[in-house]
Amino acid sequence: MSDKLKQIISKQGQHESNDGISHSDDVVQLVGFIIGEEEYAVPILAIQEIIKPFPWTRVPQVPKYVVGVFNMRGAVIPLIDLRLKFGLPALKQGDETRFIVMRYGDDIAGFVIDRLTMAIRIKKTDIGPAPDTINGDDTMIDGVGKQEDRIITILKVDKLLERDF
Amino acid sequence: MDEFQEILQDFLIESFELVEKLDEDLVELESNPEDLELLNGIFRVAHTVKGASSFLNFDVLTHLTHHMEDVLNKARHGELLITPDIMDVILESIDLMKALLNTIRDTSTDGGIDVSACVVKLDKVSGGTGDVQSPVVEAAPVEETPVAEEVTAEVAEDEPDYDNMSPDDLEAEIERLLQERQEEDKQKRAAKIAAGEDVVSLEPDEAVEEETPEPTPEPVATTPVPVTPTPAPVATQAPKGDAKAAAPAKKAATVEQTIRVDVKRLDHLMNLIGELVLAKNRLIKINDDVEERYEGEEFLEELNQVVSIVSLVTTDLQIAVMKTRMLPIGKVFNKFPRMIRDLTRELNKKMELQISGEETELDKSIVEEVGDPLVHIIRNSCDHGIEIPEVRVAAGKEETGTIKLKAYNEGNQIVIQIDDDGKGLDAEMLKAKSVEKGLITITEADAMSDKEAFGLIFKPGFSTAATVTNVSGRGVGMDVVKTNIEKVNGIIDIESEVGVGTSMKLKIPLTLAIIQALLVGVQEEHYAIPLASVLETVRISKDEIYTVEGRSVMRLREEVLSLVHIGDIFEVERILDSSEHAYVVVLGLGTSKLGLIVDTLVGQEEIVIKSLGDYLKGIEGVAGATIRGDGGVTLIVDVIALMDIARNVKSTVMTDNSSAAQLTLEKSKASDYCVMIVDDSKTDRTIMRKALEPLGITLVEAVDGQEALNILKAGDHNFDAMLVDIEMPRMDGYTLATEIKKYNRYKNLPLIAVTSRTGKSDRMRGVESGMVEYITKPYSADYLSSVVQRNVNFKAEFL
Repeated sequence: MSDKLKQIISKQGQHESNDGISHSDDVVQLVGFIIGEEEYAVPILAIQEIIKPFPWTRVPQVPKYVVGVFNMRGAVIPLIDLRLKFGLPALKQGDETRFIVMRYGDDIAGFVIDRLTMAIRIKKTDIGPAPDTINGDDTMIDGVGKQEDRIITILKVDKLLERDF
Repeated sequence: MDEFQEILQDFLIESFELVEKLDEDLVELESNPEDLELLNGIFRVAHTVKGASSFLNFDVLTHLTHHMEDVLNKARHGELLITPDIMDVILESIDLMKALLNTIRDTSTDGGIDVSACVVKLDKVSGGTGDVQSPVVEAAPVEETPVAEEVTAEVAEDEPDYDNMSPDDLEAEIERLLQERQEEDKQKRAAKIAAGEDVVSLEPDEAVEEETPEPTPEPVATTPVPVTPTPAPVATQAPKGDAKAAAPAKKAATVEQTIRVDVKRLDHLMNLIGELVLAKNRLIKINDDVEERYEGEEFLEELNQVVSIVSLVTTDLQIAVMKTRMLPIGKVFNKFPRMIRDLTRELNKKMELQISGEETELDKSIVEEVGDPLVHIIRNSCDHGIEIPEVRVAAGKEETGTIKLKAYNEGNQIVIQIDDDGKGLDAEMLKAKSVEKGLITITEADAMSDKEAFGLIFKPGFSTAATVTNVSGRGVGMDVVKTNIEKVNGIIDIESEVGVGTSMKLKIPLTLAIIQALLVGVQEEHYAIPLASVLETVRISKDEIYTVEGRSVMRLREEVLSLVHIGDIFEVERILDSSEHAYVVVLGLGTSKLGLIVDTLVGQEEIVIKSLGDYLKGIEGVAGATIRGDGGVTLIVDVIALMDIARNVKSTVMTDNSSAAQLTLEKSKASDYCVMIVDDSKTDRTIMRKALEPLGITLVEAVDGQEALNILKAGDHNFDAMLVDIEMPRMDGYTLATEIKKYNRYKNLPLIAVTSRTGKSDRMRGVESGMVEYITKPYSADYLSSVVQRNVNFKAEFL
């Protein structure tokens, strides 16, 4: 795993001792990442792995945000650019770009994100519902987590992995 | 005779399997004598073996199992409690049964083992009579029976425990039972002669004997007649005997040892092999690379050997695992004789089915897929192909129509051929019908070859039958044929002659998971096309392509082939300039053909089909993906879908709109200009940078051709010019220039060679590869600056 993540984890360790959040069921563990200007997060258990970008193969007749498929140790996995999916302009992949491979049941896909932030422990009580303006079941947003001065949008992994074209 | 052997094999395999299980169950039964479930199971084993062995004329075995069955039946109805003593008898009988089965396996007869003692014990247990004649006696002429009676009667009298019946009654009872038994034997033999399939119904009605209130004289261990059945008496017993007696010499001791394995395990194994094949491909690629780089080194030979061994073993392993999944196609063919018999009656026609090659093996999943199509094809042949007898006679043919069903291997494919000598397909009639039904237009019909017209029968909604019969005519069946065969990547080939007959060939790949593919390149992408669908490849130049009604076509020998560019189907971005030449991959599917234009042919490779997963399933034209030797993913072309898509794709191949899409943005400041410096020497790069910095333009550096190309491809900058050194590692200046010129976008990018090579030929090469200027080292800073300014059209106001 990347140094970055190790850093994050060690930082996380410090945090833990500071806030003293216990390992109880009321705590959700998330991994945070940045797309555009916003910080998002998904449950840590939904993440199969986080990898540095490598070559992929374009697939025809799919929306722009499905950039293609790549080979992860023998499995062919779709790659989805979350920037494009969220309607942001495309950005060159840089040093901090990562592929997050997420799994929900049998569905699996890699997601291109701008950069990772950190692993987050957040109390369930600190997670609010998705804003009312976002309608019904269609939303990809599971909730909004508040931590110190930050607001983190928690995404639904099953929705991310749902084919919508 | 073969049929008999086949049944015998199946019988033995099944019986051994059952007996294996029986031991376990019986042991458990002893500790658990009340378990009805268990008893029923054991009873069924005896019952099954008895049924099958009586069908196969193994009288000794039948005799034994029959008595076992009696005992077990009593136990199962609660009339008998299984005591250890009884269990001993049962176990003994099972041992005998095993011995008999072994004998059958080795000699194809069940002679040479004396079962009478055990049978007597069994009979005693079940409270039976002295009806313990050995099979020879049963089958022997009636005159012999009195002997048996006498002995048994005698024995019966010796037994005081069961003397609640008078000897006369006893004799009458025995007489009755014997007659019954003989009657059964007659029936059995009759059934055998008829070669019926239903074994169960042929069994003697054991209920009669069970219900008879049988006296139970205990026969002494000395049986009335010693059991010495030899092939000779057997042969006289039934017509089948000949086959049996003759067979053992040839086919003795050939019981295949089998294990039943969950298909899932095989699938898993197949997946693993798939991975291995991919790794092998990768190894071969690496080997090639290493070979190139370290030519002549000693270790190469060793490496080569290892690679060949790995690849050889992998291939063998793959074949071996594939074979475990293979089933003989006979499993599917078996149901057709019956079907034809039924259809003969139903349609009032005379038909005969000839089957050959039923031992040809196919992957299990494919065998399952071809069943339905074959039913439809054969029904179709019966209904539409074969004429009624009067018509046939009038046409000078045999009254009985013949349908030949044949399977054989052809390269990597299995061919299933269905021939009939019926009336054949009439191309004109097919066309007319299709036009009438609105399936095709008149112009399409006129342009159709006979073969294409035959293909019409596979169109949904097409039927040539005037009326809908029970058998066919709904216009669904043949459509199913096409769908199912295409699902397994098969192709259909029809040949037919009016009045003579129709021949249909289904060509099916051996397996689905690993296939041979042709790899083709378009621009910078690669695609894999299943080789089974590729008829040929042709190299053409652009002017061989004509446009007819907005679609590209070419002349291929005597045919006109419609063309489609793979780039149009897969929305490939045209980055590279298309060359004068292209390759056409001629795809054949069923009766239709299509030419697929590609830029390059990469080669043939064994690929493992992987699914794109749920998220990307159902992409038109893509059948899946495979992982290549370099670890990259290559998409596999779905030829069936491609043919459909091709109909609706407007060709843009030849409309050469490569108007060098160069983004000539308006320059508003000096730094909008961008120049790349490519040189492997840091000093040289610094000298150039120093010379150009005063202009205030943006400078990007690359240390060799490869890096320069990557920077260009990344497209982060819009370069206005490039300064290129010639001598560089990895990729030299000439190669770089040639590569760059392939891209439409950089066609007009000025390339300036900066080199210490001053030879004339060097200059010539520079020009050939597309360099516009040639600066020789050493040069003055001002000179370089002015050359660059000239080439990028530097505006004087920025100075």
